[in-house]
Order: sequence, then C-alpha cells, then structure tokens
Amino acid sequence: MNKNFRYIGKRIERDDSLDKARGKALYLDDIEKNNMLHGKIYMSNKPHAFVSINKESALKVEGVTHVFTYEDVPKNLYCSHQWFPGADVVEDENILQKKARFVGDRIALILGESKEAVNKGIKALEVSYDELEPVIGIDEAKKDRSIINGDTNLAFSKILSCGDADSAFNECDYIIEDEGSTPKVHHSAIENHGCLSEMDEFNNIVVYAPCQVVFQVRHIIAKALDYPYSKIRVKKITIGGSFGGKGMPILETVCAFASLKTGRPVKITMNRSETIMGSRSRNSTRIKIKTGFNKDGKIIARKIDAEVDGGGHFTNAAAVTMAMGKKAFRLYKIKNQVFNGKSYYTNTVPGGACRGYGSPQIHAISEINIDNCAKKINMDPVKFRLINAVDPGDKDPIGAPELGNARIKDCLIQGAEAFNWVERKKHIKRKNTSRYSYGIGVAAGTHGNGYKGAFPDFTNVNISILPNNRIWIKIGIHDLGCGTVLTMQQIAAEVFKISTKNIDVPQGDTFISPYDSAGTQASRVTFVCGGAVKKASEVIVNKMLENYTKLFGCSLEDIIYEDGYIWTKNNDKISYGDLADLVESKLESNLEVSVKYNSPGNPAVYAASFVEVKVDNYSGLVEVEDILAVHDLGQAINKTLVEGQIEGGAQMSIGMALSEEIEYRKDGTVKTDNFSKYHIINSPSMPQVKSLLIEDGEPGGPFGAKSVGEITAVTPGPAVINAINDALSCNICDHPATPERIIKAVLNK
Amino acid sequence: MEIKATINGDEIVKNINPNKRLVDFLRDDMNLKSVKEGCSEGECGACTVLLDKKAVTSCTLFAGQIDGCEITTVEGLEKTGELELIMKSFSKNGAIQCGFCTPGMIMSAKALFYKNSNPSKDEIIKAIEGNLCRCTGYNKIVKSIEEVRDGIEHE
Repeated sequence: MNKNFRYIGKRIERDDSLDKARGKALYLDDIEKNNMLHGKIYMSNKPHAFVSINKESALKVEGVTHVFTYEDVPKNLYCSHQWFPGADVVEDENILQKKARFVGDRIALILGESKEAVNKGIKALEVSYDELEPVIGIDEAKKDRSIINGDTNLAFSKILSCGDADSAFNECDYIIEDEGSTPKVHHSAIENHGCLSEMDEFNNIVVYAPCQVVFQVRHIIAKALDYPYSKIRVKKITIGGSFGGKGMPILETVCAFASLKTGRPVKITMNRSETIMGSRSRNSTRIKIKTGFNKDGKIIARKIDAEVDGGGHFTNAAAVTMAMGKKAFRLYKIKNQVFNGKSYYTNTVPGGACRGYGSPQIHAISEINIDNCAKKINMDPVKFRLINAVDPGDKDPIGAPELGNARIKDCLIQGAEAFNWVERKKHIKRKNTSRYSYGIGVAAGTHGNGYKGAFPDFTNVNISILPNNRIWIKIGIHDLGCGTVLTMQQIAAEVFKISTKNIDVPQGDTFISPYDSAGTQASRVTFVCGGAVKKASEVIVNKMLENYTKLFGCSLEDIIYEDGYIWTKNNDKISYGDLADLVESKLESNLEVSVKYNSPGNPAVYAASFVEVKVDNYSGLVEVEDILAVHDLGQAINKTLVEGQIEGGAQMSIGMALSEEIEYRKDGTVKTDNFSKYHIINSPSMPQVKSLLIEDGEPGGPFGAKSVGEITAVTPGPAVINAINDALSCNICDHPATPERIIKAVLNK
Repeated sequence: MEIKATINGDEIVKNINPNKRLVDFLRDDMNLKSVKEGCSEGECGACTVLLDKKAVTSCTLFAGQIDGCEITTVEGLEKTGELELIMKSFSKNGAIQCGFCTPGMIMSAKALFYKNSNPSKDEIIKAIEGNLCRCTGYNKIVKSIEEVRDGIEHE
C-alpha cells in the first residue's frame, strides 16, 4: 500500500479547538433566543406508578407560563432507539408518560420566562402516584410478578449459534465455567443533556440538538408529533461529549412539541442528577460462559448465556443483545458455539448506546474466562489467545460480513513484545510486599465498522469547489469531540491535494446535509462516511480535470495539480477556485457532484491491552501502573486523534472495571446520583496510556482506515481485571472491582 | 446587595442577589460563557474560575462571596494575553476533544502556575484532579501543561 501520504496519518490540528479553549464555542446552554421560554422536565420520583398531576399550584408561580402533561401531548408511541423507520422495535414511549417506568421518567414539562420561575414551578407541582410493585434488577424481572410492558418482562431473546456446542463439549479435555456481571454505566459527558427548538418563518420546527443522528431526531419528532419530515429541521450543534448518551432523543420530542404548541423558542436543560437518572445508560448484564478446550489449548466449544437489563423502555433491548452476541463469534475460531441472549424490562434507566455497544460487556466476562482456560493448562494467556485467534480473511461463522484484514494476532504478538510480557510475567511477583500485590493482565477484543449486514448502511455526499478556492463537503456527520470533521477534511485533502484549511465540512443539518442512513454511531463514520468522502472527492477531482482539458485543450496526462493549483507545462497555474469560475463562465456549469455511497463491507477491528496493576491488600484500592493498548485500525487518519481515542477509551474502560456503577436501591431510587457518588477516573488515577498501532490497511476503508473510537473502550478493563486476578490469585468476575470486592478476594486468598 | 469586584480586570459595582450562584452570575449577568456547568456540586470542575488567583468551583459559591475579590475566567486570560501559550499547547497536543471541560481545566492549570511556576508532573496531575474529563484520559492535558511550564511555544 502506498504510504507516501500528504495528509493521511499526519498530526494536523483541528480547527475548532482554539474557540473551545477561549470559551467562544457555543454549546447548547450558551445559546439564547429572543422571547425564549425556559423548560424543565418534571421527572418521576417513583419507579413504577400511574401518575396524576394537578397543574394549578405550579401555574400560580410567577413567571411559569405552561405546564404540560400526558393529557396534553399527542399519543403517538415511538421508540427513541429507532434511527430509521425500518428498524424493528417496540414502540412504548410517549412525549410525556402517563405511567412512569423508572425514577427519572418524563411526566411533565414546565415552561416559564426564567430558569428561576421554572425551578419554583417544579417544586410547586402537585404529583400523586398510584404505585405499582417496582422491578429492580434482572432477577426480579424474571419473576414476572410485576409486569412493566405487555405480558412479560422478557423484552427480547435470541439464540445465535454455529456447529453443535452441546455435543462438542463431550469431546473436550477441559471445561471452564465463569459467571460475572457488568454495571450500568453513566456516559458522563461533562455537558449534560439539553435541547433548544423554535418555529421559523415557514412554520418549520427548528431543533438545535447536541446529538449523534440528525435524521433519527427528525424521524422520532415526525413520529411523535405527526409532523411532516420536510418541515422539521434538526441542526447538530457543538456537543460537550456523548459516548452514545446523546444518541437517542430524550428532550427533543418534548422541546419540539413545546415550540409547536407555544410558537416560542424553548430551551430545556437537565442537570447532572437528572442526566444520570433520566437519560440512558450502558446496559448492565449478567453473563455465564462455559468454554470447552483441549490440552493443546484449542477451544472446541463455547456456550454463552447473557442476560441484559434493558431498563424501563424497550429502546435498544434487541440491538445491544444482538451486538453482544455477534462479537462472540468474531475474535476466536470456535467451531461450536451458542449464544443465548435475553433482555428484560426493569424499572430503571433505559439502556442506550454506550461506547462499544455491548462489546465492553461481552468481553468483560469472556476475556476473564479465556484467562481461566489458559490457567487450567498452565499456558501463557497470550499464547492461548494466539492459538485460537482469527486470521485475516476469515469468514464469520454465523453469516455476518467477513472479518477483513483481521490483525488480532499482530496485536497480541507485537503488544507482548513491546510490553515485555514474558519477562514481566516471570518476575512480577518479586515486586510483592506485605501491603501490595502486583499482577499483569492481557485482554483482546473486537468491534465492527457500521451496520452493513444488519441494517441499511449508506450515505450521500455533495461536494462543490467554490470560486474562492474552498472545498465544501456536505455530509451528515456529527463531531462528538472525536475530530470527525478533521478526519473527513484529511481524507478529502489527500484526494484533492489541498490543505485541510481549504475544506469546509458543516455538520449534520437535515435542511443541508444529504440523507445519511445511520448517523454517527456504530463505529461507522471513518469507514463508511470517510469512504464516501474519498469516493466523492475522486469523482469531483476527475470532473475538475476533464473540465480543465475542455477549457485548455490539453489531455488528462498533461495536467499537474497540487496544493490547490492546477496547471500544465504550457499553461500557468490557476487555483481550483479560479477553474470553478472558468467552468461557470465558459462552460455554463459548476464543479459540484453528489454521490451515494454504500458501505463496501463490515470488517472487524481488533485490540489487545496489556496492563500491570498494584493492589493495596489493606484498602482494596487498585492502581493501574502501566497500560499498553494495541489497535488494529488499518490506517490512522490522524495519529493525535487516534491516541486521543485510545487514551479516552481507556479511561472509560478502567472506570467500568474499577469504580463506575449506577446503583439502585430496592425502592428504585438512584444511590449514585452525582459525581460525588458516581466515580469516574480522575487525573491521579489515570495511567499514562502507551499506544501501538497496527496499520496494515483495510481493503475497502478510505486509505485503508477502519474504526477505532469504540473499541478503545473494550480491552483495558478486562486486562485490568485479569491483572487483579493475577495479583491476588482470585477470580473476580463481578464489575466494578470495588475495594469491597477486592478485600473479599484478599481475605479468601 | 451591592458588590464591588474585579472581573477579568474590570472593576464592577453591581446590585445583585447575593444568593445567586457565582456560576449563574458569571454566565447570565456577565455573559462569560466559558464558565461551564457540569455537576452543580463542585465535583467536575467545569465551572472552575480564579478567585484571587486561586481555583474555585463557581457552582458552589454565591455571587455575594466575591465582594472585594478578583475573578478571572479564560475570557480574562485572553485579554491579558495569558491564554495564548496554554490554549495553543492544548490545541496542538490534542488535549481538546469535546472541549467542555477545557476552560475549567485551563483555569486550574493557571492557578497552579500562579502558585508554582515550575511544577512537577505529579503536581500538575494533582492540580487538575478536581477537573473531570471524559474524552481525553487526561494524558494529553497533562502533557500540554508540562509544555507550558517548559515554555514550549506552538505556532
């Protein structure tokens, strides 16, 4: 593969960061509109109850203008997870609920002339609850004593399989079984949820949303309000982090309804506690894994039973379960495997996308189990993984798209070498003192590149070369902080041979962006949208060259173009913009193309993390002393951005392993309702992350690139847990490995 | 009550509700939108400003408490030219992703430099322990602050 890139892989600076540092970037809550009403959601205090609301006392508060409840809103059910009309879901959400299904469910909207008035209105609102038995946790859900929706709390179930696991277990030398749990994780974007909407002069609803999928927001609003798609303008604005949390519309339907009803701009915001309780979370799970293998380390059969806590609404109950199951077939060659996934309604915060989408959960337990298999036959856990890992070009055993240039073995081999794994493994115990135990751990993982094979995965791009030598790329992307805009700029820059500074890529706006089928989610943007930008850039560059031949009477071979200029031996340099001028004046045309791009595949990405931990035997606290994260990402588009993903993903993954959990009391209230109780990793607890990139090129990816953002949050956590289990010779499988759990393991030693 | 304070170098005399939170006063009354709110309880550090050159969380202070004091936000640092080096270092090193924690992070770093012009890496890490970031894993933020300490200039 040609690696003489001008822009690809380079550490180019993003063009939004200085304004963010200066406080000039406008986030949702920084935007004010004339005549704007402030809004706040009254969230249910009860987990499972029919709600009656008396508006009078709230309406008496000075400055409160409106109180809306279930009685006032259209009754069109929707599913906030549904990103396009064809996605098969259960529609069980209202704009405002009559029956609250979790503490934090939306039951009323209060609007007022000021934030103060609205806050007073919230306090004054009289709400009475006709309570039903709450269902907290998977075990309670399974009893079906109290039903949340329909006639059972089982929301979704699916079996995926290849070969014949049940009989293959009889042929195995060894069988190792593990069972563990993963927590509900709060996305913890530092910006809380918010939305602003207004009516424009043509009676369009304009929604300013820090979101991930403008076309999903449009679809859900159209559905909830029965309003024409073509009259709903959703604009993605600067977002203070998402990680999946701002994927599903939470406030957008309510906000749009309020603007439509009042005719005024409306801004609704949530504070941290409201965002923790009332938005979405990573689904918690309980996973049982049974693996059969032979003395030589070859896995023969595996059975996975996964139970998912789906929360109070259906949302992603099917999607996350399927996502977990599918990943189980794409990391190791296992001829006989069955995945049995079930998700349940519970009276807790609904599940939503969360960086990794099921991969962090399934790998959390499966990678512990793999270590235990290796231990059983005294085999090095890296070697055990290498014996079973997939190879480039392997097919997916359950018929999903092929794995592509799957480089997990390179991740493991090069990672082990860079980490000095074998030597450290030999000597790690020498570091032990009476107070501290040391251990090292490894974990591998896989993730995808979009929806191809499961859902429509295409996008449309429109590119123009403008007279002032600027390239304008219209595509429905959403920069969530990852540098998505710059990624697109660098891909286009490479094709155009022009600086990224000359390229403008406005973000998702349903009145500007051509239709995109699936949004900025599912690790699809670099691979699919980047591929689309590359393709469209090639088409328009060809058009530019052809027009040049017409205007200057030369052949294609004579043309040289570079750094935004085009010329031949006999003709002086002119800028691309000057050429665009000439094309319009002389040829009555313009340099513009529209291209529809279908994803060419859905290859896997791979990662391996290597970790050393120091466990305090007295306090149960764990320090991650060292971490190396190795990623098979095909080709880095921008190394600084890639490292940023790897370091940030590690922070989330280590948090899930050690300290993060949305905890519920039996009565359905949330214990961890702010950052003083919900602990994300802060700077002193964060190790320096070393990253190693395997850049072997993915055919089909733009310049060989594939995804990296989500898989970064998959392997550090399980590697940490494996290192703890190594340090204490224990088998912690329940997450997070809190000091209480660590001390229990120390005492059992 | 009437307060007298210096905000980003400008002396102001204002009649205010002393019980208004400082974050609301700065954002709503003074239009200093760099001051972000993330948790409302002093845990995330997004609303960090300098009060007499010390880092404080403006969501846990009342506006009445700044009477007679000096308040600085990144808008103030920009006015005096003190933002230049640090914001370019953050930008160049990829320390800014979503950017929501950035102004608060910069103010904590600035408070550290006022106290100690040559902090160690550990002191830098400690200085931002009250500023949560979900995007970067802190590594690039710490590196950026180290480069400011070392006087490394970026284009």
